[in-house]
Amino acid sequence: MLTGINMLCFSASYAIALGLEVYGLWSQARLRRMALLAWSFAGLVAHTWYLGRRVAETSSAPLATHQDWYILAAWALAIIYLAAKFYYRKSSMGLFLLPAVLGLIGASTFASTVPLATFQAPRVWGLIHGLFLMFGTVAVLLGFLAGLMYLVQSYRLKHMIGRSEGLRLPSLEWLERVNSRSLGAATFFVGGGFFTGILSRLASSGGQPGTRNGVPWTDPVVLTLGGMLAWLVAAEVFRLVYPAARQGRKIAYLTVAAFVFLLFALVAMTRDDSLHMVPATETATKTSAEVSL
Amino acid sequence: MNLRMIGCTHQSTGLDVRQQLAFDPAQTIAALETWQSRFSKAEFVLLSTCNRVELYAAGNGHPTSPDSEQLIDTMLDFHQIPRQKVEGQLLTLADSEVVRHLYRVTASLESMVVGEPQILSQVKQAYQSAQDAGSAGPLLHGLFQSALHTAKRVSSETGLHKHRVSIPSVAIAELASGVFETFDDKHVLVLGAGEMADETLRYLSDAGKPHIHVVNRSLEHGQQLAEKWNGEYHRWDELWEQLAQADLAISTTAATEPLVTAASFAELVAPHRYQRPLFVLDLSVPRDFEPEVGKALGVYLYSLDDLDRACQRNRSARAAELPAAEIIVAQEAENFAVEVNRRATAPVISGLRAGLERPKKAELERLFNKLPDLDEQSRQEIQQFADRLMNKMLHPPLESLRDASQNGTHHGLLEAVRRLFRLED
Repeated sequence: MLTGINMLCFSASYAIALGLEVYGLWSQARLRRMALLAWSFAGLVAHTWYLGRRVAETSSAPLATHQDWYILAAWALAIIYLAAKFYYRKSSMGLFLLPAVLGLIGASTFASTVPLATFQAPRVWGLIHGLFLMFGTVAVLLGFLAGLMYLVQSYRLKHMIGRSEGLRLPSLEWLERVNSRSLGAATFFVGGGFFTGILSRLASSGGQPGTRNGVPWTDPVVLTLGGMLAWLVAAEVFRLVYPAARQGRKIAYLTVAAFVFLLFALVAMTRDDSLHMVPATETATKTSAEVSL
Repeated sequence: MNLRMIGCTHQSTGLDVRQQLAFDPAQTIAALETWQSRFSKAEFVLLSTCNRVELYAAGNGHPTSPDSEQLIDTMLDFHQIPRQKVEGQLLTLADSEVVRHLYRVTASLESMVVGEPQILSQVKQAYQSAQDAGSAGPLLHGLFQSALHTAKRVSSETGLHKHRVSIPSVAIAELASGVFETFDDKHVLVLGAGEMADETLRYLSDAGKPHIHVVNRSLEHGQQLAEKWNGEYHRWDELWEQLAQADLAISTTAATEPLVTAASFAELVAPHRYQRPLFVLDLSVPRDFEPEVGKALGVYLYSLDDLDRACQRNRSARAAELPAAEIIVAQEAENFAVEVNRRATAPVISGLRAGLERPKKAELERLFNKLPDLDEQSRQEIQQFADRLMNKMLHPPLESLRDASQNGTHHGLLEAVRRLFRLED
């Protein structure tokens, strides 16, 4: 029965959980909270099962294709959502986190299912590169969502809207902490992803930039990712040297801006990624070799 | 049921009389022991809070059980208060009224601020004191246990306790906790030493372990407040420096002009804060902080009017929950009455059974002696026949007794059964 689990199963579970989060703006009934947890957990179990089956079917999964990459990022964010739900039982964080989870799953349907090129580099480099960028994406998303929640919560407090009314968000202090840590983590992971990508590219080209496998600095994916990294590093330096950027709205604005860079990088990766694709000639050669064997 | 309650509440009695009738914990134990020795067959629980002094008594129908007048005299004797001083000011209740009243008190429906949570722990404490003094018996044990259960149901099944209604509780629980994750190690600045500041500090200290700093023009009052909350007193001229360091400021001075203007805040405080969040409770009338200060980045400023509006909203929300709470109280009071009545009929039912069991056994023994050749199977058949006959004969009167006990009309029937079957003997 479990072999029938597809993306629709866990997307539907998360969507129902999101519906229950919206309903929570009017009702804080215990039954609703239990149903919300049950649907979220069911979604995560189905999601995990789906990824596990991908690993069993494809040796290079769960980062074998762009689609896998998006689904893995959504899975990491769903785990963070459930963990946060246990920490802040009555909060409405799902109104922010679940759309991001569903957004990543939705984006995966537009992403390529063609296997990613390995550049003849050791598989472990590709895996580290993919994981770093996946965690970087999750960290930027988390920082962005915490930043949004911070701005909403700050507005509500300025306008005397109490915590017991409708939308329940964590304290500004907690959101600021999550925001700040997300920014640090995003800088580390995106930096790690960017440099492991360059290293694996150089390793596969034997260090000769002119070869096909050299680093194509003008590629849209490299450009947008480099831009995001530059912004994250600048934001982190700004945060460390300028005290006002460590607290309050400024840290929220920094992470919101990082999200804009992330969007560009993701769009570039989904639409124009020739960098990670296996060239057609290579695929053809490989196919004919397989036939002759 | 034979329950009695005498006492005074904030609704019927003035503060002066309530203060005279109040019992501290040591007096409560002493009084319960005194009354217990005087009325050895009765049970007592004494509830004494700022808003009520209530003596609950149960007598189990014993002739020596005290009536309401005796209970009033007993309470007044303890404090040596003449009766004419409280004439017409004491409340006396009996039986089902007592049950309903205690349920309403415990569920905080009779409180001055409906839904306040302290009364539940006060009722628990009163019951515990009675247990310690050995004055609570089976009837009051059942009554108080069920009152606590009722309060729990009201709390979990209605939204009565969800909405805070006092200004400090709204300020801390609904607003300050929206800014701060914890109050531990927070720099709390108190401007002035008013009562409201004291009450707010009590809520803050319940919520965490903040560092309290008091800035006050009067050295004596400022130091008193600082000492009470293990805080630090600062001279008035340190106001700006303290405000620059504060996470939370509570202002309760009697100043006639704003102490902190938008201009002075922007010039003397904001540059040192780097937009770090500052939560300000301006509980002064007129205001100590100009409203424009609240427009500064990172400043969350609330005046007494703002907080009062929030409290008013919460009071209305609580009022909407009252009917649901009353239904729970009514249900539980009915359940308690049925349970008490069932317990009252239980000795008669068991007595009736025992009274018929004895002659049945004697008759069977006589029969088996007369018929010694009966085999085992025949003996068992005869035994079962006798059992069935007795059960069938007892069934209608026992059903009637049970029905009557459910309706509370069992007293006459019980008496008739006792006399008919000579159960006293």
